[in-house]
Amino acid sequence: MKKWQVAIVMLLAALGSWFTVGTQAQAKTYTIATDTTFAPFEFQAKGGKYKGIDIDILNAISKKENINYKLKAISFGAAVQQLSANQVDGVIAGMNITPERKKTFDFSNAYYTSGVVMAVAKDSKIKQFSQLKGKTVALKTGTAGATYAKSIQNKYGFKIKYFNDSNNMYNDVKVGNSAACFEDYPVMSYGIKNGIALKIVSKQYEAGDYGFAVKKGKNAKLLKKFNAGLKAIKADGQYKKIVDKYLHSSESSLTGETASSRTFIGLFTQNLGTIGSGLWMTLELTVISIILATVMGLALGVLGVMPGKVGPAISSTIIYIFRGMPLMVLAFFIYIGFPDLIGHGFKIPAFIAGMITLMLNEGAYTGAFVKGGFQAVDDGQMEAARSLGLPYWTAMRKVIMPQGIRIMIPSFINQFIITLKDTSILSVIGIVELTQTGTLIIARNFEGFKIWLMIAIIYLVIITLLTWLSNWVQRRIN
Amino acid sequence: MAKVIVKDLHKSYGDNEVLKGLNLEVQDNEVVCMIGPSGSGKSTFLRCLNDLEIPTQGQVVISGYDLSDKGTNINLVRENIGMVFQHFNLFPHLSVLQNITLAPVQLNKESKVEAEKTARDLLATVGLSDKADAMPKSLSGGQKQRVAIARALAMHPSIMLFDEPTSALDPEMVGDVLDVMKKLAAKGMTMIVVTHEMGFAKEVADRVVFMADGLIQESGKPDDLFDHPKSPRLQDFLEKVINV
Ligand SMILES: Nc1ncnc2c1ncn2[C@@H]1O[C@H](COP(=O)(O)OP(=O)(O)OP(=O)(O)O)[C@@H](O)[C@H]1O
Ligand SMILES: [Mg+2]
Repeated sequence: MKKWQVAIVMLLAALGSWFTVGTQAQAKTYTIATDTTFAPFEFQAKGGKYKGIDIDILNAISKKENINYKLKAISFGAAVQQLSANQVDGVIAGMNITPERKKTFDFSNAYYTSGVVMAVAKDSKIKQFSQLKGKTVALKTGTAGATYAKSIQNKYGFKIKYFNDSNNMYNDVKVGNSAACFEDYPVMSYGIKNGIALKIVSKQYEAGDYGFAVKKGKNAKLLKKFNAGLKAIKADGQYKKIVDKYLHSSESSLTGETASSRTFIGLFTQNLGTIGSGLWMTLELTVISIILATVMGLALGVLGVMPGKVGPAISSTIIYIFRGMPLMVLAFFIYIGFPDLIGHGFKIPAFIAGMITLMLNEGAYTGAFVKGGFQAVDDGQMEAARSLGLPYWTAMRKVIMPQGIRIMIPSFINQFIITLKDTSILSVIGIVELTQTGTLIIARNFEGFKIWLMIAIIYLVIITLLTWLSNWVQRRIN
Repeated sequence: MAKVIVKDLHKSYGDNEVLKGLNLEVQDNEVVCMIGPSGSGKSTFLRCLNDLEIPTQGQVVISGYDLSDKGTNINLVRENIGMVFQHFNLFPHLSVLQNITLAPVQLNKESKVEAEKTARDLLATVGLSDKADAMPKSLSGGQKQRVAIARALAMHPSIMLFDEPTSALDPEMVGDVLDVMKKLAAKGMTMIVVTHEMGFAKEVADRVVFMADGLIQESGKPDDLFDHPKSPRLQDFLEKVINV
């Protein structure tokens, strides 16, 4: 076997082993999903560890009841979807117990009762709902605040804008794009205490209960243990200690950051480890996806220019499907929809799902320009090669492909850069790559501007390096 | 048996019937020139001879191999037929030498060393010994076409097809290419040449075939055909060509 054949076999074997690991039921270790940015219930502390009321309660209960679990921090929306798709065993994420949700999930006893408040920018004059008329209100999808605001929208005549992330929502209000946001009281007050430039201007509405959720009819044992443990930690005072710790202290004592670490350089050095691992994940995803997408794209391109109708039809269909689908939809489909379809507890690790997503999407784009590149080679080239007696595949390999690929080089470079940037979309399925790292850091220190600037610079640096590398390769080839 | 036998050859593109039933036999060592107005189907005919076009109907037999027969290995037949195109179709990413050695090496006809020796010999015959390592884009049209001829000859074919080999060339380049073709004819190569070079046809061809409207209208020895054209179509055509 040639070197590249060995490489492909090894790659396939690696993929295969990943899948089997993914499908093996891990005996008695529950996977519990939580939100990534919902301080003080969950947030990432310095060094990447998750902290918060939910996390500590879950931990305390597990100790009491001997529950083995693995925490999986993803966005709230993804957590809920994965629970209904049986990808995780439970969700603890400041989740309101609602009649609607009870149709799909079984909830524990309430472990916290919270109300919704309205918050506005510090210098805003808005005090009442009636002043919102014609203005925009920022909401975070799937929260009690969102449900409440929606219920009074018609009465007060405001517009709604949705966010996936609390910090982006706060920021939208802070910079004045939105007039107000609705948020759970403890979350809002914790944020304000930690430097968010908003103020709470309403009383608490629609007091709601937070519960731990499992999929309806599943994991009854886990739920029972949770309830028992909750009762126990309430009885022995641990529960009160946890809640007090988060609601009556300022963030810095929890995350271990000091005021001096709030400069750009300070933030950078403090978060170097977190950013570094995010960057590594981004690079890993980018490189593997570029390789896979290039292989797929070349295959689609070759298929697309094959004589006859079947090859081109298959190629066009695949390109049509995967180029037409937004990357995020594809990611959700592969990560959540596909295992749901297969059933039997089949699971795909987020990294694999992300890689397949990028391969299919970028591969389809690559296929389109590879096909175009081959077509751009003059027909006379194939005829001359065939008239010498060269078989089709030899002519393809020795005459058409070398010329076509030369034409495609600028498109390849472009596609590599797009792939790098597209990895950021995979944060929706919980992959902690560079962009998600930024979201997580900001969730605990609210330094939006400095952190995003940092992340942006890092992307630009990698893209510059990538462009240099590509130009060098291009010069070598020509 | 004749080297090339064409029987009742038809070719249509959709509703457009380009070849309407051609019959032709070409003997070993014979040089046949084809003339005729633009669009009459000369290129299409030539391309049917090595299966670049698949006939709609009829039979093509090359050195005893019937192209329409499923058992015929078309690649082997093509090795035996060299083809030279109007626009050269050199491989622009390969040097002159690599252009010539690609097919013999890929098809295991010769080792790389042998193939390179053959290539250099051929370059000498076409007068381009000094261009072995040049890239095609640095060559003039006439040089390109001579390389293309050398490339076709490298497979040691017994038949050569030429499709207007000089009509994309500047006038001062035409002579060099025609000289190479004359040498080839003198060595006994079987050739079918589509051309507008009446002088070449007169001098070299054993037979001239006049094509129009997808049919062979008239054929014969060059002197007879040019000096005593029978059909009005040919008279008309010759008048136009000579007046140009
Ligand atoms: N691939 C094709 N598809 C459709 N029609 C074609 C194709 N190739 C050739 N034709 C048509 O067939 C006819 C004959 O073309 P052909 O190239 O054989 O003529 P020709 O005698 O070689 O002309 P010229 O002297 O201009 O080269 C033309 O009308 C042309 O439009
Ligand atoms: Mg022609």
